[in-house]
Parts: sequence; structure tokens; C-alpha cells
Amino acid sequence: MSEPTFKVDARGMACPGPISALLKAYRKAKNGDIIEILATDPGFKPDIKQWIERTRNELLELSEDENGVIRALIRVTAKRS
Amino acid sequence: MSKGFCIVMYSGTADTFMSMGVLSQISANLGVPVRIYVTGFALLYFTKNKPEPRFPKEFEDFAPKMIKGMKRANVPDWYDMLKEAKELGDVKVYGCSTTASIMGLKKEDFDPIVDDIVGATTFLNETAGYEIVFI
Repeated sequence: MSEPTFKVDARGMACPGPISALLKAYRKAKNGDIIEILATDPGFKPDIKQWIERTRNELLELSEDENGVIRALIRVTAKRS
Repeated sequence: MSKGFCIVMYSGTADTFMSMGVLSQISANLGVPVRIYVTGFALLYFTKNKPEPRFPKEFEDFAPKMIKGMKRANVPDWYDMLKEAKELGDVKVYGCSTTASIMGLKKEDFDPIVDDIVGATTFLNETAGYEIVFI
């Protein structure tokens, strides 16, 4: 797996902060880019799935470590050129 | 999800301001247009000398706990959330023209977060087909 194009650290942010932080990176991204986002908001796991479904991008990975840090890896696929 | 989301701010209590901030930002995150119509007592809080919104009387004893909890959970205040929402998406804030007249407020008295002072006709026409909540 190639290195993420954008890394977003949204740890400590409450909802809806992490998705907004992701959106800021997403605006700069182009199709094929990979965005990595870290978050600790307990709602982030279901929220990121909804965002992916609505925006039609691709969720490559969604995991949580023992410290409650959720990591999502997203491939940007829905940008209109 | 509908064409857009519209929030009518009326009561002006702190709890409704928090909900408005969160809902606006979430809608902006999802690319859903948001229109906020500010009327009633809520309008005072959108002026340049805006007072701090108050918690409703029946929850007054709970308010300090809530404020502390919001700080701990890193929840921004309503103004910052609304500002963020406006930066992220198609979010507009309209003040009610009649309420402004009743309160003796002119366009220049409002905070720059307010896009325009309009009548309810404009607002309802622009938000036709949107989901509306009244808080």
C-alpha cells in the first residue's frame, strides 16, 4: 500500500469536527489520492461509513487500536474533474 | 436525505444554539445545503453586541455541568461551528425582517455571520422542498 497523500489528525475532536477535518483535506485531493484520518470521537466509525456512502468514495481500511484511536484510510474516487 | 435542511431559530436558548451549530456543520460535511432563518428572541444573539445565549430556566441547575462537559469534550461554541459550516458548505443565515423592525434593529446592527435580512416569503420560497426544523 502506498503512503497516504494526506494525513489528518482529528484526535480529541468532538463530532462533527473529524468529518469537517477530513473534508478540508478532501477538497485539496484528487481522484486516486489516499487520505488517512485518525480520530477518537466514539461516533466516528459509523459516521465515516455514512460519509463514504454519501460521497461515493472508497473506504480501504477502518480500524481501532487499544487506546481507542480510530484510523480510516480513504481512497478518493468521487471527485469531478 | 432531502434537497436541503432548514432550521428556524426562534427560542434563543443556549441548547438550541448548540444543536443549530452541530446540525449545520454536519449538513455541510455531507454536502447538504443549509438555510437558517432567525426570528423571535433568537435574533438578538445574531447582532454585533450579541449576548451569551442563556439556558432555559428548568435546566438552569444543570447548565454549569453541561458547560464544563462541553469544554472537556472539546465541543466548540455555536458561533465557531456555524462559521466552520459556512466555510465548508452552502450555508446561509437570514434574519427575519419583521422581528428586526420590532426590535429596532437595522442591517448594520447584525453580526457578519448573517447573510441578509429577508421576509419569510423569500425564505420559504428559497427552501421549498427542504426539511424544516423549528427550534
